[in-house]
Amino acid sequence: MHSPILTIARKDTVDATRDRFLQTVTAFLVLAVVVSIVAGAIALASDVATYVAARDQLLALGKPASAIAAPEFYPLKLLRGAIEQIEIMGAVIALLAGYRAAAAERGRQTLALILTRPLRHWQFLAAKLLGGIGLAALSLLAVFAVATLLLAVLAGVGLSGNDLARVAITWAVASVYVAGFYTLSFGLCLWARQPANGLLFGFAIWLLVVLIAPQIGDTLDPDNQVAGGVFAQLSVPKAEQDRIKAGYAGYEALRNGIEVASVTKHFERFSFAVLGIKDTYTGLPLATVLIEKRGDALWILLFTLGLCGLVLLRPISPDRLTKE
Amino acid sequence: MTAFRPLILQALQGLARDRTVAVMATLFVVLVLISAWLGWSATTTVNAIYADAAKFLAESGQPVPPNPVMETSPLALFRNLSIYVSLIGALSAIVTGFRLVATDRRAGVLPLIGSRPLDPWTYAASRLVSLALAMAALIALAAAVSVVTFLILPGLLVTGSDWLRLTLFFVLAWGFVMLFGLIALGATATARSEAAGVLTPVSVWLAVTFILPALTGNIHPTAAINPVSALAAAPDTAFFHVMGSLFGPLSVAESFKFLSADLLRFLPDGIVSRGTLPPLPALLLALAAAFAFALRGLSRLDLTKGDFDA
Repeated sequence: MHSPILTIARKDTVDATRDRFLQTVTAFLVLAVVVSIVAGAIALASDVATYVAARDQLLALGKPASAIAAPEFYPLKLLRGAIEQIEIMGAVIALLAGYRAAAAERGRQTLALILTRPLRHWQFLAAKLLGGIGLAALSLLAVFAVATLLLAVLAGVGLSGNDLARVAITWAVASVYVAGFYTLSFGLCLWARQPANGLLFGFAIWLLVVLIAPQIGDTLDPDNQVAGGVFAQLSVPKAEQDRIKAGYAGYEALRNGIEVASVTKHFERFSFAVLGIKDTYTGLPLATVLIEKRGDALWILLFTLGLCGLVLLRPISPDRLTKE
Repeated sequence: MTAFRPLILQALQGLARDRTVAVMATLFVVLVLISAWLGWSATTTVNAIYADAAKFLAESGQPVPPNPVMETSPLALFRNLSIYVSLIGALSAIVTGFRLVATDRRAGVLPLIGSRPLDPWTYAASRLVSLALAMAALIALAAAVSVVTFLILPGLLVTGSDWLRLTLFFVLAWGFVMLFGLIALGATATARSEAAGVLTPVSVWLAVTFILPALTGNIHPTAAINPVSALAAAPDTAFFHVMGSLFGPLSVAESFKFLSADLLRFLPDGIVSRGTLPPLPALLLALAAAFAFALRGLSRLDLTKGDFDA
């Protein structure tokens, strides 16, 4: 006999592929990711061309080429825009998927029907969560597969096993991250008097968590107040920069506190470190990065597990069985 | 046109009772308040950093460059406003536009309105005017909060020209949020399902805010929500020149940020708008297209039924 959880989860998967929702949203995210990677690659090619021209000019003047820093090419760094698209749009798509999962059962009156079966409330909820989270992971798998193929083409060399492992780890954590937003939206749309209200409240939370909190942290960064960075414009050496920054520890703690209140920032910090997008992690062994960034991964996991726990523990209200 | 005013009153009263609209509007106003503090706090910190750096440079015998934020206008303190209008302001407009039509369709009010002696154009005009009034109220509230914070923050010298620029910025902000409100009105009027009514304007908003800037200027999504980073010059390559020409006029979020930076006086030197069409005509054209889309959708709404299929 099949587990009712697996049966309902499988049915949701089939539904999502039948009405092309999954294909449509995946295509949208793939488009955003491809645009980011291609634009990033072309910008990098422009940097390389500028470097080559400057180097040739130096050599023609009889000066050493080492006077200017050569741009470094790490293919995984091109995933920066893609990760940012996933953290913003992936979360939106997860909200929509959560809305669909709740609204479909309520709108078609099937929720009341399902609950007449010998099925516990938590089993139904777990099945819906399992189905949705599985679909999110599947959709992101397609996105990361396209991104990896594109990187291999743009880089002109195949990605190493280590690179692929880094991409795979990022995919897994991205799946947990978007699962949190799916769960949030599913819960809100199941509990709200109108499923659409739940979705709109989900958008408000998304806005705060995904965009506003990181944006406030980002704009409070003194280095982001001046085009090109304040320290760069003042030509202050790195050691002196650190000394000056140390004088603003309280301000920096507040800024960082606002940023890390957002699960999105934890996802960004984790994936930027694992993929070597952030310069301080470029070239570091994967194990070292994972040990240092386990706190961010744990934060993301607890965010999603906490939301799943809330949804599973809250009983389904009979007043919310239908759309109205 | 006797039904026109009651229809507007009914719509506005419905919005005033709507908790979702209230949440979004409150969030917007709170963020407007925060934006002034953000600008003031960050500028004060950069000034203090400059003082430290200048002392070090002077002691080590190096030339001291001018303070990069010293010559900026006090209006630049509100630079985060341009981002909050493009994020929460636009989403508030989407929610408002959606609710103005969705509530009528879902609650069965539409057939009731249709039973009155009025033509579809009257209903369409009432929703358009209601949206315009609701957004004007929201932006006016944000403007009032900004003016009060301007007067409270210490050490700011605001000229008559600054007040005029701030006023023009809020007019521009109204136009920008109306763009998305109109798309939501049109989409909700024509959508077969409630979800599509929200999904369409949100997709358009996501595309113009996060995808088009990447295409026209390699602006990553997190840079797109930073008022200064969003204005970075596009890489000087043929690809970005072509993309800028093709998609620059459609990239209305970038047009809005460019015009905002110009009005609030924080546009970096040498930055030019993308595309062959200047940002203001591009925004006005987009607004006209959104108006036509909303008018077409609303005027074709069947006033004898109206509920969503799903």
